[in-house]
Amino acid sequence: MSEIPLIRLVDVTKVYNLESGDVIALDHVSVDIGENEFVAIMGPSGSGKSTLMNQLGILDVPTSGDLFINGRNVASMTILERTHMRRDVIGYIFQKFYLIPLLSAYENVEYPLILKYKQRDTSGKAADVLKSVGFDRALGAHRPSQLSGGEQQRVAIARALVNDPKILLCDEPTGNLDRKTGFQIMDILVGLHREGKTVILVTHDPKIAEYAQRTIQLEDGRIVAS
Amino acid sequence: MKDIFFDLSVRSVKLNFLRSLLASIGIVIGVVAISSMGMLGTNMQLMVKDQLTAGINTIVITPDVVRAEPGSSSPSTSGITESQLKEIRDAAGANDVIPIDRTSTRFSIGSSDGRGSIYGLDPGDVKMIMNVSEGSTIRGEGDAIVGAQIASRFNLKIGTRIKIGEPNVSITRPVVRVVGILPTIGMSSSTGINTDNAIIVSDTWYTAQYGGGNVYDQVNVNLKDVSTLSEVEGAIDRKVNRNKDVVRISDASSRITSVSSTLSSLTTFILAIGSISLLVAATSIFNVMMMSVSERVQEIGILLSIGTEKGEVRRMFLYEAFILGFIGAALGGMASLVIGYSVVSAMIGSTAYFFLPESLIYVPAGMVIGMAVCIASGLYPAWSASNLDPIEALRSE
Repeated sequence: MSEIPLIRLVDVTKVYNLESGDVIALDHVSVDIGENEFVAIMGPSGSGKSTLMNQLGILDVPTSGDLFINGRNVASMTILERTHMRRDVIGYIFQKFYLIPLLSAYENVEYPLILKYKQRDTSGKAADVLKSVGFDRALGAHRPSQLSGGEQQRVAIARALVNDPKILLCDEPTGNLDRKTGFQIMDILVGLHREGKTVILVTHDPKIAEYAQRTIQLEDGRIVAS
Repeated sequence: MKDIFFDLSVRSVKLNFLRSLLASIGIVIGVVAISSMGMLGTNMQLMVKDQLTAGINTIVITPDVVRAEPGSSSPSTSGITESQLKEIRDAAGANDVIPIDRTSTRFSIGSSDGRGSIYGLDPGDVKMIMNVSEGSTIRGEGDAIVGAQIASRFNLKIGTRIKIGEPNVSITRPVVRVVGILPTIGMSSSTGINTDNAIIVSDTWYTAQYGGGNVYDQVNVNLKDVSTLSEVEGAIDRKVNRNKDVVRISDASSRITSVSSTLSSLTTFILAIGSISLLVAATSIFNVMMMSVSERVQEIGILLSIGTEKGEVRRMFLYEAFILGFIGAALGGMASLVIGYSVVSAMIGSTAYFFLPESLIYVPAGMVIGMAVCIASGLYPAWSASNLDPIEALRSE
């Protein structure tokens, strides 16, 4: 059997059926992303970046074509299997951080561990990961609303990392941060890539894209440069 | 293990404390309504059953009241004749047989008029079926014992005179003198005589006023040994009803069945009314849960996108419904004891049966029903939350 890369898209098309008519968000996209790559996805608004990220994050399925992640065809997986793959293989970092407002910073990081092991974290892993992004115990007790944007994004990174995923999907991770904090976050992502993670980053900012080894350029749902 | 989904639900309830509390109050009212009504009905049944059971050794024989004779267009009533009474006495053997006359009458006490039953009994038999709470029993003609309700309504004392019959200026009405007052017997009677609104006079006085000396309205047989009940009933039936049914023979057990069945229907009815308040509460819980889902759409999107199973999201919202139900049921259970006690005391006048298991069972039953209604109200909101599209949910603000 030929070796399938960590992520493979084969002729993937995504069509949204809207009242105003069908919208082709991804148009026969084929691309491979190997392990420990650092890829930036760029393109103007409406080019299909978010749709591609949703496919890579298994939050959505292609209308046609095949998407393989970690050796498995997403279309043939059950809803529960996709949920478990989101939990175990993929770590998400969003532009708006998307922390759970009712939980403290520490509990936000602990949450994916609870999902995976069905019990509270007694190994100290959540605290360790939180510490690795510069959070001590006292700061970890704060609710997201009590943290700055940079702090929230660091918690989000810790949450994404805690289940040791192979893939980090970062959707404009610096979009809501000032320039200095943005670069600090990028330094963390570069460090994670060095540690062996596959980092896929959506950005508008060419400066941020420069951190990546490879840039995929999208226009009107098609890859125009890779 | 402390479940994080339970934790999230608790925090959500705390975050919207007032809204949650108001929704729970609906459940409190529902639980109180169901428990109190159930306890009221059961206390009524228990009291009546006890009153009837107290007279388990009494057989009540009444004429087979209204029967349409063949060839006659109108039904005729008949009393128990002297010869039938003799047959009853023969069948009853050594047991006491008490013939009773009864009619309804107007009466006047001073300037006040009233209406009630009037019973005629042999003064020697009176003690066998009733005991006065004040004064003495009938000794001679013109003496009367009155029921508790008449006594209290007209503020009767021993020695008060009662004019019997329709008020009519042209006729001098017969007068009886109150010599005794009976205790309250409530809504049931083991002797087939409801004395609360009655005047009891001697049979000779009764016959002198109303005639019918050889015909009786009711005959009671007081058994010396309750184990002979069916045997004596059978003997009377075979003797008196040998050709056709001329008398109806009943005892406490048949009356218990009949009254219990009526009260049971009544209890079901009042419980159904109580349940309406739970339906209102269910709507309120449903509304609160739907609000909770719509306010937390983005949070649900986050949970789903980072690998939370649909079942876990459902569980989180069902926990929330459970918490609202638990608070409502716990408060409702406590309030039920206080309010139920007050209702039973006010409506029945006795709380002797309130703490019996048959009565108190309505408290946990009401709590369980309240919680079940609450959780059922949370099913659809929980289901709709777990089926949100994570992408759409994340986009919502």
